[in-house]
Amino acid sequence: MNESAGTLGAIRKFTSIRGMGQVISVTVALIIMVTAFGIINPNFFSSENVMNLLRQISPILIIGIGQSCVLITAGIDLSIGSVAGMSCMLSALLMTTLGRMHPVAAVLLTVLSCVLIGALNGFLVAKTKLPPFIATLGTMIIARGIAQLNGRNTDSILMLDDPNNPTYEAFRQCFYYGKFLGLFAPTWIALILFLIFAFLLSKTRTGRHTYAIGSNYEAAKLSGVRVVLAETKVYVASAFLSSVVGLILMAQSGMGTMDAGNMYELNAVAASVIGGVSTMGGQGLLFGTVIGAAIWGVLNNGLQFAGAPLALRNIVIGVVVIISVLIDRIARGNKIGIGDMIFGTNRKTSKTPPNGNGDGNGVS
Amino acid sequence: MQSEYLVELSNISKEFPGVKALDSVSFDLKAGEVHALLGENGAGKSTLMKIMSGVYELDSGDFFVNGDRVTDIDPRKAQELGIAIIHQELNMCAHLTVAENIFLGREKIKGGMLDQKAMNEAADIILKELKLSLSPQTVVGNLPVSSQQMVEIAKALSTDAKVIIMDEPTSALTSKEIDELFRIINDLKKRGHGIVYISHRLEELTHIVDRVTILRDGRYIKTLNFADTNLPEIISMMVGHEINEKFPRVRCERGEKLLEVKHLNAGPLVRDVSFELYKGEIIGFAGLMGAGRTEVVKALFGANRIESGEVTLEGRRLSIRSPINAIVAGIACAPEDRKREGLCVNLHIRENVGLANLDSICGPLGVINGKKERELTARAINELKIKTPSQVQSVKNLSGGNQQKVVVGKWLVRDAKVVIFDEPTRGIDVAAKVEIYNLMNRLKEQGIGVIFVSSEMPEVLGMSDKIIVMCNGRITGTLPVEDATQDKILTLATRYETYSA
Repeated sequence: MNESAGTLGAIRKFTSIRGMGQVISVTVALIIMVTAFGIINPNFFSSENVMNLLRQISPILIIGIGQSCVLITAGIDLSIGSVAGMSCMLSALLMTTLGRMHPVAAVLLTVLSCVLIGALNGFLVAKTKLPPFIATLGTMIIARGIAQLNGRNTDSILMLDDPNNPTYEAFRQCFYYGKFLGLFAPTWIALILFLIFAFLLSKTRTGRHTYAIGSNYEAAKLSGVRVVLAETKVYVASAFLSSVVGLILMAQSGMGTMDAGNMYELNAVAASVIGGVSTMGGQGLLFGTVIGAAIWGVLNNGLQFAGAPLALRNIVIGVVVIISVLIDRIARGNKIGIGDMIFGTNRKTSKTPPNGNGDGNGVS
Repeated sequence: MQSEYLVELSNISKEFPGVKALDSVSFDLKAGEVHALLGENGAGKSTLMKIMSGVYELDSGDFFVNGDRVTDIDPRKAQELGIAIIHQELNMCAHLTVAENIFLGREKIKGGMLDQKAMNEAADIILKELKLSLSPQTVVGNLPVSSQQMVEIAKALSTDAKVIIMDEPTSALTSKEIDELFRIINDLKKRGHGIVYISHRLEELTHIVDRVTILRDGRYIKTLNFADTNLPEIISMMVGHEINEKFPRVRCERGEKLLEVKHLNAGPLVRDVSFELYKGEIIGFAGLMGAGRTEVVKALFGANRIESGEVTLEGRRLSIRSPINAIVAGIACAPEDRKREGLCVNLHIRENVGLANLDSICGPLGVINGKKERELTARAINELKIKTPSQVQSVKNLSGGNQQKVVVGKWLVRDAKVVIFDEPTRGIDVAAKVEIYNLMNRLKEQGIGVIFVSSEMPEVLGMSDKIIVMCNGRITGTLPVEDATQDKILTLATRYETYSA
């Protein structure tokens, strides 16, 4: 209880947060990566590129927040990419051929429909106990199907047809092109959503229950946690977040696109696991997801800047996903996190063998 | 009217599809007493306790708490009624801290946010009351099992539980830790809590129990004051017939030297271990939990890496780098955690037996010869008297004792020369234990060398021909069974300094 005072104590306390080790190590990796790209191409640090990069990262970050929450419950949500696509196409439909709605109404209706998909996921996983992989695989296909209902069913895109309509323009500013304090709208949206969800996860009962059901579902249930409700919530949240991403994609291009958000669900898994979220549940910090998404974005952007072809970018990102999780696993095998290696904390416990002589409670 | 009883269950029945789990069973609990609920596996103890703690609903019967009738109970409501259960398989969120686990589902909230400080402080007070030196902020997954159990007890107390149900609380504890648990139980008793105590280790009861209730096959047999009865009587009521000899030792002429282990080193808990095993001999490994006994057998079986040392089987030096080397050489192992390490519980018996013998039942193209597989399985079932309706019975539906037999059986049909049993009787009932003992004896009579690791001293003393005591990774003594006593073993098991036998 008596933490050693001063900065060292504060650092120790900080590094002792669950999953912080991986977050610290990937942050270091990110810094190295950014520095390297900056040296290769000084334009990488131009304010224009930085702003663009932050905007580029935003969708994957937003969707990654949702995926991280689901992964923390030991689930997975495969539907979120398709839900983003559905949100993209549906909002375009509602603003044009289907009712010519005011963007505010269209946005609300779109978000609501996407949340319903999330609720369906929650029902299937939490109530009927379908494996999350299967349940969300089904809704992934369904949502993609909805994204393809563009009224005419032949075109893969649906343009916002009236370029002079000021409400369209306002919508696109609000979700993509607008700038405030030097940052683009998607960056602000991502930042705000990150702060809200980080708060929810770390400071509220809902967040605690999210970790608990991922850590030990039975224990949570027997402790009186309303597990069905808690599990449903994360799927609803993740669908909500992907609907926001769909709106950003729609605002960006000014059209509904059938395959918008394709593969986002897996990129979101990549961002989450790079950031130290465990796919086995119970562990993960949203800040790690931010760093994971940033690494994903920086690699894409930096390699593009350095003139690397798409194929190479994908290969590199794939390798990074594997390596980051591998490093974490190796560090864990040694019973010390990477944060502990750097800051020298936790050495004491690492020396006692895993199955110590039952006097482990002496070490505290 | 205030009832004398904290909890009263009368004529409770509960049926699952195809099984009558409880048939008109009654049970009650007074404040300040420890009431043991006894019975073999499948007797209905767990079902009854799950009804009390709101996991199951009862089909018929009456359930009173403090004299008030209870209906429609769920885990949350049971908690509100002051009934807490500590499950045998501990239910903790390993990623969360002690305080977070204690208040899981009942988090303290201030201004819409979790009040971590208040929860840590409240947890600290409870831990101090229990005289435990645990920090509320330790992550539970980093604690030894014994401490996790104490956290469960703290959790129960934090709910103001008057009734605490403990299901096999000592099955994973060392004797020192058990003493600590009993201290706490007696403490709780004095504070007016009622404790329902379920255990297969009947010897423990003497230290804490006031009354016992015995169930058999889902039926109520009897409730007795513990002072008015004795263990043989309790056992005979549990099994429905007398077990004449709890440890049916057979005398066997010791054969030639089978296995010789010299200066074995494998990790911090196997240091310079040497011993010899003869044909038709049972060696018992005794010691406290964490003494390195499991690590020794794991190293022998190739599951843990051997750093140095010699293993010789029938005069041939073995190079054991992975379990496959040990298996080919004729060493079989029934591991400590049979469900996790010993069996594929979702597969049926034949598949489990086949899996360990694929080399002998597969044709040149890797196609499984079904006839050979059936023959092998039939042999395993016959030789070990595995009770099962068919070869294709899913292993998870077998009783603990029969599961253990499948683990052994799958190796036995390979003509193993050395069979290792690591805690084979943990969590299984008296009758099944005796069957395991008989199994070890049969192996012994066939001239097989048996290595037997157990934390229950009576069975080590009762079954072994030679007892090796370990402490902190080293062998601190080897005793022929004639000279061995519990006292001697305990002295050796706690001899922490270097000692050469």
